Amino acid sequence: MTPKERWLAVLNKQSPDRLPTDYWATTEAHQKLLAHLNCATDRDLYTRLHIDRAIAVSPRYRGPTLGKNSDVFGCQHKAVQYGSGTYNECISHPLAHYPSVEAIKTHYIWPNPDWYDYSHLPEQVAQWADYPIRGGGSEPFLIYKKLRGDVQAFMDLIENPDIVHYCLDRLFDLAYTNTQRIYETLPGKVDLSYVAEDLGGQESLLFSPQHIHTFLLPRMKRMIHLAHDAGVFVFFHSDGAIHDIIPTMIDLGIDVLNPIQWRCQNMDRETPMKDFGSQLIFHGGVDNQHTLPFGTVDDVKREVRDNIEILNQQNRYILAPCHNIQAVSPPENIVAMYETAHELGTSIS
Amino acid sequence: MADLQAIAENVINGQAPAVSEAVQKAIDENIPVQDILHEGLIAGMNVVGVRFKNNEFYIPEVLIAARAMKAGLELIRPKLLEAKIKSSGKVCIGTVKGDLHDIGKNLVGMMLEGAGFEVVDLGVDVAPETFVASVREQGIQIVCMSALLTTTMASLQTTVEAIKAAGLTDNVRVMIGGAPITQEYADKIGAHGYVADAATEKARELIAEMAI
Repeated sequence: MTPKERWLAVLNKQSPDRLPTDYWATTEAHQKLLAHLNCATDRDLYTRLHIDRAIAVSPRYRGPTLGKNSDVFGCQHKAVQYGSGTYNECISHPLAHYPSVEAIKTHYIWPNPDWYDYSHLPEQVAQWADYPIRGGGSEPFLIYKKLRGDVQAFMDLIENPDIVHYCLDRLFDLAYTNTQRIYETLPGKVDLSYVAEDLGGQESLLFSPQHIHTFLLPRMKRMIHLAHDAGVFVFFHSDGAIHDIIPTMIDLGIDVLNPIQWRCQNMDRETPMKDFGSQLIFHGGVDNQHTLPFGTVDDVKREVRDNIEILNQQNRYILAPCHNIQAVSPPENIVAMYETAHELGTSIS
Repeated sequence: MADLQAIAENVINGQAPAVSEAVQKAIDENIPVQDILHEGLIAGMNVVGVRFKNNEFYIPEVLIAARAMKAGLELIRPKLLEAKIKSSGKVCIGTVKGDLHDIGKNLVGMMLEGAGFEVVDLGVDVAPETFVASVREQGIQIVCMSALLTTTMASLQTTVEAIKAAGLTDNVRVMIGGAPITQEYADKIGAHGYVADAATEKARELIAEMAI
């Protein structure tokens, strides 16, 4: 099977020839791994480690010229060094000081879907015909936090619900139209879309279920319908301890749950497997907070084996790191993760 | 007559202006600041802590409560200084080099201040040498550091090592926190204190330990 066929077998609840794997990494971690394995290209790496990478496609920006270090929303970023690499952190929040929806309407120009060019997408997809394709999707509260600043964004849920509703409508509309145009440009070619929002902390949900219901779910549902109507699977990403909201997300229509951060409260692999294993595809599961960065090769191998034993009981698991592999994670651990997954994933299928 | 319980209620409900008003009234009526602090502000935040633990409150509710408590604290801070109440200890606090995420750090700093500690806030993205200088120059007894990111956990270790290299280990205790942190990690890098919450109790323990 090709990586695409392997993913589709799992997504369609059929049997793949082996366990599929996926790959997320920061630029620094990716470069380290390429150098470690002497791989010249991404495709070499995926072939060498048997990675069934979901290939992301996205439009090109062609809108008004952006300010220095500024993104399309007008948020400025700064490269913050953490030792082995940098993160581009948001340091200005263009909507932070607006007291009302009216003020935002008067002063702020929202990005427009026409600022993007989709014409190159068919060519991009043609290069990866044997791999699963992902495109479109939404993660608007993440953007809202940049627009207002983290603390204000959280407090707005209680104090300025009208501002949250207004901005989320704008942000979801942008994501919706972007996704729609990707589907239209690539009919039948997109396999999955991320409908994401980080709802969990280390120990519990970050927001009350009531806030999640009020602000996010109806809008996420619209995105999910769009995907399903186009025959695209919905990949729901939320970091953290989100056990309590998973039944709601299943009702909403998600197909894949990522990342199963099993060191978090009630996410210990057995619990989500027992509670939701028959209704979801699990994606992720290899711990990125301790095992990959600080564990030994044997720790990694043990974790991969445990993950497969617990999460792959019905061929409904795609193994991947719980988030972007970070530069602090030794390449030996990454190699061990994929080689063990290949070895064990092939023998049990 | 000022109502300390109303101050607590308004902290719980995140009503900063109501807290300010009630605290000012209590000050004007010469209610001892220690009572305003403990029976009003801290009593309120304690309830917030319990509700957070019980999944009745989430981050937004905690943040508006913290803002309300801060509004009250700012009004009584000069009075606390005037009353010359013995400080519980002196701490510096910051997010480590490479980490800008300070929501948790700010909450802990505020709770420590409420518990009677003198708090020097070093801000975000704090270099090891800045923590060391703070210990040297400001008579710090506890260094509190936080790292939200797995990549910046390494900066916790670098800072602990810098404190050791500066020969300050006997003078100071180190408390660490942040989403990926565990007791095991704290032990590994030689930090003295890790708690997922309840930082003030831990800080008191460490100060008591140093006094022995």
